[in-house]
Amino acid sequence: MRYSKMNLRLRRLGGGLVALLAAMGSQAAAQDPHTPGAPRHFAIRDARIVIAPGRVVERGTIVLRDGLVAAVGPNVAIPQGAWVIDGSGLTVYPGLVDALSTLGIPQALRLPQDGRPQFGPGGPGGGQQGPYSWGPEDRPATFTWLNAADTLDPADERIRRWREAGFTSAVVVAERGFFPGQAAWVNLAGERRNDMVVQTPVALRVNLQGGPGHRGYPNSLMGAIAYVKQLFFDARHYDQAWSIYQSSPAGLQRPEYDRTLEPLRDALRNRRPVLLPGNLAKEVHRALAIADETGATPVIYGLQEAYRVAPVVARRNVPVLVNVDWPAPERDADPEADVPLSTLRFRDRAPTAPAELEKAGARFAFYSGRIDQPQTMLDNVRKAVALGLSKDAALRALTLAPAEIFGVADRLGTLEPGKIANLVVTEGDLFERNSRVRYVFVDGEKFEPAPQVAEGEGSQRGQGRGARGAAADTAQQAQAVAPPVPITVDRGPITSSRVTLIRNATIMTVANGTIQNGSILIRDGKIAAVGQNVTAPADATVIDATGKYVIPGIIDAHSHIATDAVNEGSVNVSAMVGIRDVLDPDDISIYRAAAGGVTTANILHGSANPIGGKNAVIKMRWGADAQGLLFDGAPPGIKFALGENPKRDRDPDRYPATRMGVMDVIRQAFIEAREYQRRWREYEEQNRQRRRGQPPLIPPRRDLKLEALVEVLEGKRLVHAHSYRADEILQLIRLAEEFGFKIATFQHVLEGYKVADEIAAHGAGASTFSDWWAYKVEAYDAIPYNAALMTERGVVVSINSDSGEEMRHLNQEAAKAIKWGGLSETEALKLVTLNPAKQLGIDDRVGSIEVGKDADLVIYSGHPLSVYAVVEKTLIDGQVYFDRQVDLERRKALEEEKKALLEKERSSGERPRVTTDIAGNPREELR
Amino acid sequence: MRAIGWIITAAFGLLPLAGGLDAQQQGRDLAIRGGRIHTLAGPAIENGTVLIRNGRIAEVGTNVTVPAGIPVIDATGLEVYPGLFDAMTRLGLTEIGQVDVTNDFNELGEFNPHLSAATAIHPASEHIPVARANGITHAVSAPQARPAGIGGQATVINLDGWTIEEMMVEPSVGIVLNWPSLRTGGFGFFGQQQGARTFREARERYERNVRRLEEWLEEARRYDAAVQAGQAVPRDLKLEALAKVTRRELPFLVGADEERDIRNAVEFMEKHNVRMILVGGREAWKVRELLAEKQIPVIAGPTQTLPTGQDEGYDEMYAAPGLLYQAGVKFAFGTFNSSDSRTLPYEAGSAVSFGLPREQALRAITVNGAEILGLGDRLGTIEPGKIANLIVTDGDPLEIRTQVKHVIIAGRDVGTDNRHLELYLKYRARPKPQPKR
Repeated sequence: MRYSKMNLRLRRLGGGLVALLAAMGSQAAAQDPHTPGAPRHFAIRDARIVIAPGRVVERGTIVLRDGLVAAVGPNVAIPQGAWVIDGSGLTVYPGLVDALSTLGIPQALRLPQDGRPQFGPGGPGGGQQGPYSWGPEDRPATFTWLNAADTLDPADERIRRWREAGFTSAVVVAERGFFPGQAAWVNLAGERRNDMVVQTPVALRVNLQGGPGHRGYPNSLMGAIAYVKQLFFDARHYDQAWSIYQSSPAGLQRPEYDRTLEPLRDALRNRRPVLLPGNLAKEVHRALAIADETGATPVIYGLQEAYRVAPVVARRNVPVLVNVDWPAPERDADPEADVPLSTLRFRDRAPTAPAELEKAGARFAFYSGRIDQPQTMLDNVRKAVALGLSKDAALRALTLAPAEIFGVADRLGTLEPGKIANLVVTEGDLFERNSRVRYVFVDGEKFEPAPQVAEGEGSQRGQGRGARGAAADTAQQAQAVAPPVPITVDRGPITSSRVTLIRNATIMTVANGTIQNGSILIRDGKIAAVGQNVTAPADATVIDATGKYVIPGIIDAHSHIATDAVNEGSVNVSAMVGIRDVLDPDDISIYRAAAGGVTTANILHGSANPIGGKNAVIKMRWGADAQGLLFDGAPPGIKFALGENPKRDRDPDRYPATRMGVMDVIRQAFIEAREYQRRWREYEEQNRQRRRGQPPLIPPRRDLKLEALVEVLEGKRLVHAHSYRADEILQLIRLAEEFGFKIATFQHVLEGYKVADEIAAHGAGASTFSDWWAYKVEAYDAIPYNAALMTERGVVVSINSDSGEEMRHLNQEAAKAIKWGGLSETEALKLVTLNPAKQLGIDDRVGSIEVGKDADLVIYSGHPLSVYAVVEKTLIDGQVYFDRQVDLERRKALEEEKKALLEKERSSGERPRVTTDIAGNPREELR
Repeated sequence: MRAIGWIITAAFGLLPLAGGLDAQQQGRDLAIRGGRIHTLAGPAIENGTVLIRNGRIAEVGTNVTVPAGIPVIDATGLEVYPGLFDAMTRLGLTEIGQVDVTNDFNELGEFNPHLSAATAIHPASEHIPVARANGITHAVSAPQARPAGIGGQATVINLDGWTIEEMMVEPSVGIVLNWPSLRTGGFGFFGQQQGARTFREARERYERNVRRLEEWLEEARRYDAAVQAGQAVPRDLKLEALAKVTRRELPFLVGADEERDIRNAVEFMEKHNVRMILVGGREAWKVRELLAEKQIPVIAGPTQTLPTGQDEGYDEMYAAPGLLYQAGVKFAFGTFNSSDSRTLPYEAGSAVSFGLPREQALRAITVNGAEILGLGDRLGTIEPGKIANLIVTDGDPLEIRTQVKHVIIAGRDVGTDNRHLELYLKYRARPKPQPKR
């Protein structure tokens, strides 16, 4: 501290001295301007000055003094004593900002260069495994208290490189863990870390991956999201508890101090930005959902799929940081490997993200991602400019926008007088590739980049960056910015009609028999009339179904499609996690399911633990976002799992390892849930009785896990229990009865036929496979008669798929219950329509063809229980989402689009490199 | 023999539950009378008779005299078809997938051409009666090969018999080979490397694997020549087995799914003058002209499979058999499974509405497999001289709701009893539980 002050005094003194010498015409001191004693008084005259994006002085002077902008304008007098720089032919810009960076952050706090998450020992960082986390209370990979400003290494060689390219500031933060720490705004010059810091903390970073060394909870994306939410809830509770306690501590138990929550509490109170990851459109939606639920002030980073989501972030006025590390093909990839269209589109469109965001009116800044060469970052921004981003917006995203987003626009981001003198002075337009950085000023100190060094380095690394102006290079660049290839419409409803008539079909209503030569009138997504004499208004869309069969949309009571995570198996109770948080609306399985007649599915957590995560009931509205897939009003559910899967060997050992233990885990969890329920009831009761003027009570901590279990106890959340053996089915029935709740469905329930009476008496449904068996011991007594036998005994039975493939022919699977066990046609159809609807508590909406129900319908070419039946159309909410004819017609266009994209990549001349793909898989190397 | 059968049945208290004739007491003479006979060797015969003598089909037609004393199945109003042939299974080689000790299809070592499925087929596997209850009368049972390795010899069995010897149709119909893949692997969930990281690495590995395969074939040729020449060479079981391939006595059953792998395999086999049957071949439809031109038959995997890529049509695998057929590629279906073998007819049926003529779907689960594997003179149609593997159904065997009434294997009506039916009848008879007082 003392040293620093002394140094500052020394520097000022020296500065004055050198300025004096300079005024006398000596050039000697200019040799090494950023030594202590460098001048801090400059005037750049006759330059083109971009004061702020869109505010240009074509010929003017800017005066810098003591690290600040002293004056700027066309008619500014050059003060005495200033070092004068002739700015003719030069342009002065506000210094550039990398809005999310690791410059100066020590290696140990960064992710490995390749960005690949490390699992187990062996890899970088893998040697030092952290302790196994058994839940959010263990604060896994959480370093909220780590302030980037306190970890800076001013000697980081990268700082100089970035500065010489014109970057004067960066928002830096550690990278490891779910909460890597707090971000600092730093200037990219200084001898010691304290010299560099402009403001800290400016944000709090969140990752949805634990990074190297993390083990245990959470080990899935949905676990990570649940954890992030829980930590914010904990922080709110912490804030509340301490506020109440501090206002009147007498008589109150002291809340526990928690260093992980202090910075979160601070961030929430000060509405400080929380950096949430969101590269793909679906990830952006997830980030917004996290912010909504937690009350965090979001800044989303990533945004490379902005073309699909820009209007949303603009409407929500959520600032975003765009990763300009544009994705590219892999180097040394298999030339014949099939690159999915979705990946090609992603790569083609990513550089249009800034233009899309500008068009939508969103607030955005740029960051470097894993780019390690500042020239590459600038080239990538230039590419965005070539694709329609205005230069003003580009400059803004590199200067003022980050300053605004991180709350330092009062001192940085423009060249207005009084602001910190961070400048970049170029020959030529910054956004032209042949521009050159002449001077960089940081905190009013002048730096002159040495272009030769950068060039040598560039070519050494195979970048060829130094060879500016080379004809070939320019040609390649020109091709590389060809406009994006138009996207073929391949999702979304095919029709958009309010009133539709399906005419002259064999209608298997499931509820009320079969109608020959019948019609169905659909109005506003609902079935308005069914029968042989249905009249439709003249403007109705008519679907002629002569010779065809219509059945209610198929409902799959057990599926794992359309989700980016299935299991959170790190812990034996993962009731805190939910599929809703990780729905993947881009999963082609949704469309394929619709092509198989499925309109609704119960997307379940896996069977890794006795109590798993929460479900999501969705409709196959291919093209909608995650929110739009949800079956509005479907009762929420949760997965349980009995038998072999939850008791499998794990490393480290995880209780339970026997069926005894499985039941014990469930019982203990509900004892805990009852206690939690009691604590809340007590609190609410006491709070009600609290008199005016009495100090407020500290509420119990909200616990996402126990909250879900209390919902089960209160009958508000359906239990879907994965089970095989008859004994475990019976045990769970008795356990549920002990706690006074009901099992909604036994899933798989392959030995259900042995205890069908008990299942029926409990009132549970049974959702089974048609004929799978023998894949494991507990499936050895599985029989294809199961569905029929349980039906005979009065159980509401459905047949599910548990598979994105099987899901596509559930009509055939239903027919097997006719063959094995002799169900009637209607009973068989019910197995995949009305019965699963009942099991999921949505039979008032779907499951049969009845007036008032959702118009979820399948039109088959022939009898739906025949192996030869083909789905011709699938309607959801009255709109056609699958049409075989349209599907066949689209194929050509999709093939051509793909060909064009591949051709474009091949001819772009861009050096292929390994980078993130659409799935977010990290690239292999840096370049 | 008969007596022993009775004793076993009595000891386990299991009485025949379903099926036409008392399986234990039969000989191998039988007549099926009154049904519509789909011989698959000509038009269907209405109200015809099939006479079986000593396990073989003796006569088929409308004017067949059934000698006295021969048991008769009355098939009036029913359909008679050749028994269904699952052309690729693990029947008898696995009982419970996830219990390793019950699995006998995946031996250690990369080159095991001398091993034979027949050695390990478990005649008492519960999977066998389950499969045949739905009309599967015979099947290829094959070991699995390791990546770029040779797994052993595939065996054709009848799904009936006390011992493998009684079940045996042909001990060896080919040697299973997994064609070396050129695919670059990704990273598994736990970060373990699943394949080559770069294409260059993949190509090097591929070339190494192909060279190794060439060396094996060359060695087998030399070994064979030496043996033929009467030289005293130490016996080498592996080379002895491979020599059957180099002599073209046996084909390689080549597992390859990707277009490029299939092309490479075809080129290799042609170059080395060995016979090839493509097995699996998910992308075979993309190479159909080549397969047709080179007359390479295919044992196709299940149609109820997801498309090979995100961008392929949702119906790619439903439509593939139709495309193979139109191109003139001969193919048979296999389930590539054991417990699911009974779904064979639906795998075939699912291709029908997507371009495969129904008649061809039927052939692909009966005749074609027999012909592809060189058993066309013994199996596949209802013609005199052939092994009497037949089924009697109440309808189209490709349709799910059709019931298989009789399963005749080598002239015996083996019935449709199986573990599942037993459990069904047992628990169906469970009395209603009385509430505890």
